[in-house]
Amino acid sequence: MEILRTENLNFIYPDGRQALSDISFSLEEGEMMCVCGPTGSGKSTLLRLLKRELSPRGEKSGDIFISGRKQEELSDFEAATRIGFVFQRPDMQIVTDKVWHELAFGLENIGIKQNEIRRRVCEIAGYFGMESWFDRSTDSLSGGQKQLLNLASVMVMQPDILILDEPVSQLDPITASDFIATLTKLCREFGISIIAAEQRLGELIPVSDRILAIKDGKTVAFGETRDCVRTLIKDEAFAVSMPASVKLYEKIMSASGKENPKETDNASHEEKTIKTDSATLKEEPINTDRATLAEEPVRTGITHSKEDHKGGDIPLSVGEGRRFLKEYLKSPESDPRILSEVSGSEDTRTLHEDDKENAAEKQAVSRVEANKENAAEKQADRDKKDSRRKDIETVLEFKEVYLKYERNGRDILRACGFKVGKGEVFCILGGNGAGKSTAISAAAGLIKPYSGKIRVFGKNIGDYKGQELYNECVAMLPQDVQTVFITDEINGRHPYDLSGGEQQLAALDIVLASKPKLLLLDEPTKGLDAVLGEELKKKLKKLAADGVTIVIVSHDIEFSASIADRCAMLFNGEVVSVGEARDFFKGNYFYTTAYNRIMRGMQAEK
Amino acid sequence: MKPLEKYNPAVLFIYFLLLASLVMFAANPVMTMIAFVAMNSAAVVYAGNGLGRAYIFYAVIFVLTSLANPVFSHNGVTVLLVVNDNPITLEAVLYGVMTGFTILSVLLLFRVFSTLMTSDRLLYIFGRAFPKLGLLLSMTLRFVPLFGRQRRKIENTQKTLGLYKNENAIDTIKGKLSILSAMTTWGLENGIVTADSMSARGYGIKRSRTSFSMYRFERSDAFMLCAVLLSCGFIFLGIAIDKLKTDFYPRIELSEVSAYALISYVLYALIAFFPFVAKLAEREAQKKLFKESCDNSVNRERIEKRDSV
Amino acid sequence: MPVINNPTVRKILRIIIPFLVVPAAVLVGAYVFEDKMYAYVSLVITILAIVLFISGFEKRRTGSRRMVIVVVMTVIAVIGRFVPIIKPVAAITVISGVFLGGESGFLVGSMTSVVSNFFWGQGPWTPFQMFSWGMIGLVAGLIGKYLKTSKPVLYIYGAFSGLLFSLIMDVWTVLWYNDGFSWDGYLAAIASAAPMTILYAFSNVIFLIILFDPIGKKLERIRTVYGL
Repeated sequence: MEILRTENLNFIYPDGRQALSDISFSLEEGEMMCVCGPTGSGKSTLLRLLKRELSPRGEKSGDIFISGRKQEELSDFEAATRIGFVFQRPDMQIVTDKVWHELAFGLENIGIKQNEIRRRVCEIAGYFGMESWFDRSTDSLSGGQKQLLNLASVMVMQPDILILDEPVSQLDPITASDFIATLTKLCREFGISIIAAEQRLGELIPVSDRILAIKDGKTVAFGETRDCVRTLIKDEAFAVSMPASVKLYEKIMSASGKENPKETDNASHEEKTIKTDSATLKEEPINTDRATLAEEPVRTGITHSKEDHKGGDIPLSVGEGRRFLKEYLKSPESDPRILSEVSGSEDTRTLHEDDKENAAEKQAVSRVEANKENAAEKQADRDKKDSRRKDIETVLEFKEVYLKYERNGRDILRACGFKVGKGEVFCILGGNGAGKSTAISAAAGLIKPYSGKIRVFGKNIGDYKGQELYNECVAMLPQDVQTVFITDEINGRHPYDLSGGEQQLAALDIVLASKPKLLLLDEPTKGLDAVLGEELKKKLKKLAADGVTIVIVSHDIEFSASIADRCAMLFNGEVVSVGEARDFFKGNYFYTTAYNRIMRGMQAEK
Repeated sequence: MKPLEKYNPAVLFIYFLLLASLVMFAANPVMTMIAFVAMNSAAVVYAGNGLGRAYIFYAVIFVLTSLANPVFSHNGVTVLLVVNDNPITLEAVLYGVMTGFTILSVLLLFRVFSTLMTSDRLLYIFGRAFPKLGLLLSMTLRFVPLFGRQRRKIENTQKTLGLYKNENAIDTIKGKLSILSAMTTWGLENGIVTADSMSARGYGIKRSRTSFSMYRFERSDAFMLCAVLLSCGFIFLGIAIDKLKTDFYPRIELSEVSAYALISYVLYALIAFFPFVAKLAEREAQKKLFKESCDNSVNRERIEKRDSV
Repeated sequence: MPVINNPTVRKILRIIIPFLVVPAAVLVGAYVFEDKMYAYVSLVITILAIVLFISGFEKRRTGSRRMVIVVVMTVIAVIGRFVPIIKPVAAITVISGVFLGGESGFLVGSMTSVVSNFFWGQGPWTPFQMFSWGMIGLVAGLIGKYLKTSKPVLYIYGAFSGLLFSLIMDVWTVLWYNDGFSWDGYLAAIASAAPMTILYAFSNVIFLIILFDPIGKKLERIRTVYGL
């Protein structure tokens, strides 16, 4: 049954900017739809228009139907309860001070009686596994718990439709995938219809039924996931944010010159979508038996489309990617050289082009060149690099650093040691609570270890007096870039009028104003879309080429893999492995790029 | 005995309110001393942290209030000495001392009150009558730690950006104020998400929102409330009909020793010592529980040993 | 567990309570505690004034955005109270009153008192403090027009509000530590608190000079961005 539909939705902001033009889409009950598009494409505007209370001011035309009724016809009560909305930043959408109170907040607003609130709140807390932190204050929760609380406190209103505006962009990858798994469960087990917008689509696309892609407020593609992905991978603006398996598929298909079935699909696009829908309907008796549906992990939609394009089915997840690759390598027309070429570059085309453009980036270029040479030459090159590294001046050195925040607390860093050479891009990876942020704050001289030494340019960090350390020496881009803005004006604009990504780049400019020789970055890609991520990468590579040493701590494996010269893995406050970026990720089993996860063990087979 | 913390906050609040007014206004040396001892013992078990330092402050207050009375008040017939033609009387001194004890008792009582009346208890009491104010309070309590953390973050970042260039007082104050200003911007600008999150969950669609709380009103709460109301009522009545009255001026006249007075003293002691006794009982129960669990584990070990043999 | 389920009865009670119970409480208290009558009566009256104001606030609709702004200003003031010696609480309350209106000003002032006292200790002084700071914000809102246009008037009000706060709190001190109100005691209290009062008035002016324009600008901007 159709639960949400828009017809020729247009929206113009008071300043005359056309944010949306002729957006039409529909959503079936119990389906998950992914809304994608670059920053400023109008995603947020669209999502806000769907929730009446959040409609921005401006001129709207076209209609929104909820279960066949116009949005305007809903009562306040229906509008508030039937559609739930979860925002991007976990911290700011929490209203009250206690977890149980936050869960009850919405129910208080709609005037539910005490006993009923108690029942509903306890029920939802039980379902989301929140008993152990039910009595805690909301401030003491982790980012993932906060976002789960936000979801739960919306779900307690028992909505049919759940709208999420970049819900996991502020979370680390593991928490993010847990959160998406929870969403999937809500969708499959309770028939909640979900609309989610996200910048990075690797996690979301494999579980969505439909995609709505918009750019500059116009629909680029809408329909069944695989069909849309086929269209979007051809589009520069969307290709960068596609899952690795899709990019791999595209690369192999275009390299092998194999005719992509996309052309034929595209022609009958609209028709096919409808066909898929009716087929889905037949196969999914939505209202009859939810229990069986829940136990069935493979969705009928997927099997259906698999039958449709034999041999050329586009893989959406790592698992599907591996299956695809295995089958491709078995097939007689496969070309093993493609594999080595693809595996050599964990990255997208754009990066290579950049590399060629900037001849100055010697290291990066040498890396790309190394890709094309055979293994022996690679080894020789690496040896050469290693010997060179020994001569390079050490810029930052941690020597058995122990650090803790409270006298009787646990050690956040323990025997943490590493060296970073001049001009290097050094990434420190690690899970939540591994001590990444602590390490970088210590490197910036903001917290002092109780044992061990930190040397910056060969000098003990404690020996720098006053502002000496920060004067053309060390600079840090913090995780929360808004802490950089202390005035209300940057280049004539209010910093908070900038989008998240623009704020990130503006903050980087401010930080770079002191002309640092050592730049520290804490989660620089958090909340950044793929395009701005590329821009940031370009900027950092330029800096590295100019001799600035860069140390990054990040959750973002893909980003680190594409920019780092060397990487270190931090676990429980300890550096457990360090290595050249490529070896590092090849050696890791879990903590590695989606590409490497797809490629793992593939070479040996042929 | 149920620990004090487990009672319904409204009952606790009424208890403290009535006890505070009794301590404050019952000008009776016997009751003052009962209250003083009771409140000291309660403060030690409930609000022991930093109590030592607080006592220094209390001592100063005690001396000041005891001295202030004979200096300002020259009533009373027993003149001890004359300063600048002003008589210092024994009655005024004693009254001052009693006032000092009273004030210390009240300060200690509010010290206990502050540790017990946590924000969510206070919210429960006033949220019912004033749901909107309750929400405002809850939001503020949610934002205070959030802002505190943000303040530290901003301070750290700005330190690396050269905020406290010169390490002198003026620069420090300037720095602190610009951080306060940056925080205001941060809070106001990001607050829009909070506001949207409220609207998205139906805030403002009903003129009167309900106020939910996890606290329940149980039989023991009702019993406690009745006990407190009745005994306090009894004592108040005693004060009103001059059964517990002590006159200091012109000379000290203690109230007659009557059955009413004695019963009042006993009831007063029961109420005043209740927090202390409840805490002791709780600790005793915990000790017992701990011992039992130890015994159990010893027994289990024994059984395991026997089984393994 | 609502004790009285009938809404009409509840409504009647809600009207009757302030008009019957409170004066009754004052009378009974005055009779029972002859000596400490003033302290008791002043406490009851202060609480009554706050309750009356809050009841008005409860009846009106307040949008979520205004709620958040009031909360943000309160939190800033609460954090300001942790500044040693000189405290920008009154200045921030005045600014809130001027730019957000008297009601918001009152709320910022009185909420700051309640919330910060969770850290500094609640007591019988809380209602007096709520009332004093609240009034500073309320009056600032009422005469906001003049305070916004004329800096001298603003600074005079700042100094005056520091004075007012001390004078009100001194009344409480006298009632609290002595029995009954006496001018001698009051003057002594004022005299002993004079250095603090002067410092307070002075710091209010300083904070208004530094904070009024920047924070005012932020509030003005937020009002247009939020569409208040």
